[in-house]
Amino acid sequence: MKKLIALVLALAMALSLVACSSSSSTTTDSSAANGDEVIYLTIWSPTDEAAVEAWWVEKLDEWNAANPNIQVSREAIDRSDSYAYDNKIATAVTSNDLPDIFYVDGPQVAYYAANGVTVPLDDYFTAEDLEDFLDSAVEQNTYDGQLYAIGATESSVAFFYNKDYLTECGVDVDDLDSRTIDNPITWSEMLEIAEKCTTDSYVGTHIIMDHGEGLPYALEPLYVSEGMDYISDDGTTAEGYVNSSEAVTTTAWLASLIANGYANIDPIDDEFLNGACATMLGGSWEVATLEESADFEWGVTYYPVSDDTGTAVSPCGDWAAAISKNCENVDAAGEFLQWLMNTENVATYAAAIAKPATRISAYDEEAMADYQEGARALFVEQLQTTASARPRSPSYSNFSSDYAEAMTNIFSDAASTGTVDEEYIQSELDRVSENFTENYNTYYAE
Amino acid sequence: MTKASNLSARKRNERIAAYVFVIPAVVLLVAFLVVPMIYTVYYSVFQYQIMRPDDIKFIGLQNYVKLIGDSDFWQALKNTVYFTVIVVPCQCVLALALAMLVSQKFRGVAIFRTMYFSPQLTSMVVISILWTVLYNSNPNTGLINSLLTNLGFNSINFLSNEKTAMNSIIFMSAWQGAGYQMMIFLAGLQGIPGEQYEAASVDGATKFQQFLYVTIPGLQGTIKYVIMITMIQAMKLFTQPYVMTQGGPKNSTKTLVYYIYTQGFQNGNFGYACAVAAVFFIIVVTMSLAMKRVTSATD
Repeated sequence: MKKLIALVLALAMALSLVACSSSSSTTTDSSAANGDEVIYLTIWSPTDEAAVEAWWVEKLDEWNAANPNIQVSREAIDRSDSYAYDNKIATAVTSNDLPDIFYVDGPQVAYYAANGVTVPLDDYFTAEDLEDFLDSAVEQNTYDGQLYAIGATESSVAFFYNKDYLTECGVDVDDLDSRTIDNPITWSEMLEIAEKCTTDSYVGTHIIMDHGEGLPYALEPLYVSEGMDYISDDGTTAEGYVNSSEAVTTTAWLASLIANGYANIDPIDDEFLNGACATMLGGSWEVATLEESADFEWGVTYYPVSDDTGTAVSPCGDWAAAISKNCENVDAAGEFLQWLMNTENVATYAAAIAKPATRISAYDEEAMADYQEGARALFVEQLQTTASARPRSPSYSNFSSDYAEAMTNIFSDAASTGTVDEEYIQSELDRVSENFTENYNTYYAE
Repeated sequence: MTKASNLSARKRNERIAAYVFVIPAVVLLVAFLVVPMIYTVYYSVFQYQIMRPDDIKFIGLQNYVKLIGDSDFWQALKNTVYFTVIVVPCQCVLALALAMLVSQKFRGVAIFRTMYFSPQLTSMVVISILWTVLYNSNPNTGLINSLLTNLGFNSINFLSNEKTAMNSIIFMSAWQGAGYQMMIFLAGLQGIPGEQYEAASVDGATKFQQFLYVTIPGLQGTIKYVIMITMIQAMKLFTQPYVMTQGGPKNSTKTLVYYIYTQGFQNGNFGYACAVAAVFFIIVVTMSLAMKRVTSATD
């Protein structure tokens, strides 16, 4: 009897091992083994709104009809909040199950490239091709001198204000409207407006509080403007950068917004749109929503600059397509990407997703007609002049979550005590720097 | 003679049939539980960046040594134990009270049973999002703070203050989980013969004495079971901190499972995450065995 049990268990074990090992050695089904020359490519990109989903269907139909030997299909992956999409990529890497092409958020490009998850695209996008792309977009997607991703859209952040309400509070709205990129508002002006406009039913301003990449993304220009970026230019260290005295000053200024009650620590969704905050540091993607739904007059002006330096800086970076190491037909994928990123496709995609396009020539297309003036033109102007790519370091994804956690702690401390504790800020930022060093030294240092 | 051998042959056939029936379950358990567990222990002695599965480096027990000096790990362990120690008694008492209520016979009792059980039917993610809004510190948004300010109290930063965040999660978790245990208690209550209550009341026992000397002993087995599963569930706390607080503020809601997730996926330290997971497994097994000993000692 015991022998039988042993046999059954051994059989079960063997079966499960077979099941496991076969799953880890799965290869893509795009091989053309029997003279069947059709190449199948799969794309992963985040699930998006109906207009974007429709764009994908239309464009892939167009491509597939014109290219019977390279058939492309797309899988929409739920992006959810903060880091859910990246987790999906991580598990696919572990099981060797990556699609041929996948979309990756700008600051993750270096992480995937440094770990060999994506392959360079220089053969498909020459320096000449890239001249038509915004510098910020090329910079963000370049790691170690090579291009690892190519995107159709950009993003930026600027200072939105509720004109109706600001006028009520005695703020000179015409002055805000008339600002130029050479004469942006300063932090102290922003603080003054926030203070004036904080009442029982409104908070003065709004900071992105997604506990994820939104925080380092939207706030980085404040740090750069004050004089110190998060991480060194070569991406190897954060020591003396994110925990520098400039960084502490910047963080303390942000914490003072929370401590004084000028910004909410857990704002509701669409706080600005819902008339619960007077101003916000909001993204270019907000424009479409506001145009459609805001029941008040609003305006937008350039990203605020540090009083100390007056240096104008703005965020940038968006999702871009990369070819994975599991792709068996890199040339076919490259050919497809060349087509996907042509001027017309970039223009129509950017219009569908309501984001600024990366290609300069795209702005001449009819689809981008509304980028010639107003809020949209302001974002494009920022992208062309003051945009600064996020640090391109393989340890950036660690930095991102550590920084977001530190800021959440600092804001929570400011909210509960009503004061700004610079020593505490220093200790939190020191920890971010230490974690960065540990991660970089463990996996990437020579 | 032949009759006896026939019998044993049939018995043997029955046994074989039994094992055949068991095989699918064993295969699944081995494939999805035993093998991953072995892999977890295996990877815990490697330096393993999640993006580089082909480039792992054997480092012996270094991950475990690192773990001993890792203050975040100890904080996560402390939070997990705190959550378990508070939530298990609260949730069990609440569940028993609800079960006693809905075991009464009156019109519409089924409605109450359904109501108390309904949080169980909703996904924990949905409930967590709902409670995040309820707990919102802004009285214009958060229902609870709106109530507090209308009653003349100051609003409370339930989830953004390290002193209240974990307790807020405990409260909503007990509210959500109690319905399930209530159902188990209800089944247990209905298994206690009515004669025992009759006999007790004839002997002059008050309602409270009946509860103490009839209900509780009658439910002994159920109570042990409920405590055990609630405890194991509580140790695995993940969804609520993931959705509501991301482990913060100041690590106050970072639980062990959440820590394993952030180490493994966000930070890419897969080998280290495996080491934490292995230690976590040992802790849960030890606690369960200890619990079992304590409860069986009372027999």
